[in-house]
Amino acid sequence: MTAASPTHAPASAGAFEPALAAEGLGVRYGSFVALKDVTLRVRANSVHAIIGPNGAGKTTLFHALTGRIRTAGGRITLGGRDITRTRDDDRVRLGLARSFQVTSLFATLSVRENLRLAAQGRTPWAALAPWRRVPEHDAAQDTVRALLQRLDLGPVAGRAAGELSHGQQRRLEVGMAMAARPKVILLDEPTSGMGTDDIGAMTDLIRDLGRDHTVLFIEHNMGIVMNISDTVTVMRAGQVLVEGRPAAVRDDPEVRRAYLGNMITGDLR
Amino acid sequence: MTRLLERPLVHFALAAITVLVLPLVLRSGTLASEILIYGLAAAACNLLLGYTGLLSFGQGIFFGLGSYVSGLLLLRAGWPAPVMLPAVALVGAATATAVGWLSIRRQGVYFVMLTLAFSQLFYFLAYTFSDLTGGDNGLLNVPRPRLGGRALADPWSYYAYVAVLFLALFAVLQRVALSTFGRTLLAIRDNEARASAIGFPVRAFKVAAFAISGAVTALAGALHAMLIGVAPLSNIEYHTSETLLIMTIIGGGANLFASVLGAAFYLVAGDLLSAIWPRWLLLLGALLIAIALFMQRGLWGLVERAAALVTRAPAEGAVPEESRP
Repeated sequence: MTAASPTHAPASAGAFEPALAAEGLGVRYGSFVALKDVTLRVRANSVHAIIGPNGAGKTTLFHALTGRIRTAGGRITLGGRDITRTRDDDRVRLGLARSFQVTSLFATLSVRENLRLAAQGRTPWAALAPWRRVPEHDAAQDTVRALLQRLDLGPVAGRAAGELSHGQQRRLEVGMAMAARPKVILLDEPTSGMGTDDIGAMTDLIRDLGRDHTVLFIEHNMGIVMNISDTVTVMRAGQVLVEGRPAAVRDDPEVRRAYLGNMITGDLR
Repeated sequence: MTRLLERPLVHFALAAITVLVLPLVLRSGTLASEILIYGLAAAACNLLLGYTGLLSFGQGIFFGLGSYVSGLLLLRAGWPAPVMLPAVALVGAATATAVGWLSIRRQGVYFVMLTLAFSQLFYFLAYTFSDLTGGDNGLLNVPRPRLGGRALADPWSYYAYVAVLFLALFAVLQRVALSTFGRTLLAIRDNEARASAIGFPVRAFKVAAFAISGAVTALAGALHAMLIGVAPLSNIEYHTSETLLIMTIIGGGANLFASVLGAAFYLVAGDLLSAIWPRWLLLLGALLIAIALFMQRGLWGLVERAAALVTRAPAEGAVPEESRP
């Protein structure tokens, strides 16, 4: 089977206008081919998971979709609009936001300020005003207040982000992506390193996000993937191996072989 | 008390108190004016170093250029100081935009090297075009500004002139630091990749920081030329950039008044020590090593610690909710 011909049709067959799509995407690091001919269609208001063994190119795909790295070929569209050559900061304005696998915060700034900046990132040129004070009541501040509550970060809102516990930092990491009020939100291993209690809350949050956003997320925990995803894409060696509904992907012999039963944590019954 | 030290108004009050106290404790009006002028330039340097995380050796370019342009406009064009100063600010901002725009294309060591290269470039330009700059001798006979029909020849009357501009520009820099722009600079300093990922055009912000810093630094250079009556070649030398960076680091990062403190310390220590021992810079080197090793928050860090001791409140975390001014 080749990467370009997935075994399974997307969750609901037939043509649909994807919220985010990649066609024939390629990425090279020097002579190393990190992504080869990756085609991906993410349906609007769905939760779409990307799984695969380490080194499969999942994070590279995120980097390419968000514009952090240049693609060697292919096309990326966001809501039908070609964004292949759009800069990463401009893609945020168009409604694409992400969180990182390795927590990446403004460590010396307060939790509230981290979220405010992320909310402001939607209108970045308005921030380029050396004379304008930060308003106490505006849309960004409302977003911040709502997020502090939703992520249960209210009690630590005034603390520096670098001082938070790992679980709190992971929640803030996801919150930073949410603050931009994106149409499509990309979460890179949102539960990495989290304790069991925190994982439950994060799972609920991602499922929730799928209601009013389009969520594309990378995850190693199969329990989460199988429970909340509408579509699962399996990657291996920079290519798409299989795509389909969770149950179908779970039972696919190719997937089982790719993982050899032990490459992933969590429950793959 | 520690909370009080984070208020912008307190910082402006401290700047105003400095202006009032200097004439009481210093005998030389020239030294007092120099403290305010270098304090201003160091505060502008802090906008890049402390707020944006850009270690630029290019500040001397704007300082020296400010000196030359002010001298030329006063001497050759015959412009009065109130017209000359805005022009100097514009030239400073424009030059800083160009230097910044090219330098920020690279990060880390290469950024620093680019600013050093620009610093050398402008130095040799000034040296080469001696018709304009006076070359080695400097641009001589730069006049003091006139007020009420007579030049401010007396050191303390010129000090008053400098003091008014110092306070006005300090307030402007404070406003910049507290603005949405200034707060974004802190984010870029903390994590440039994330700032870009959440949507900020990082390069535009860095160039704007350069422009503002360059404008204020050029104004300081103009005030300096009028103070000593000459626009010397040394003002555009690499050494000026280094001095401004040292003052900023001694004072403490991301805090405008700390830079004034750093400049005052550097100049007063230099004045006192050079009378005793011509090799006083050796001691300054030792102090810089001590700051780099043990007190990275500079003199302002000491002030904060002292304030915490006085109120017996431990300086927990010492990170305020919002940025410091």
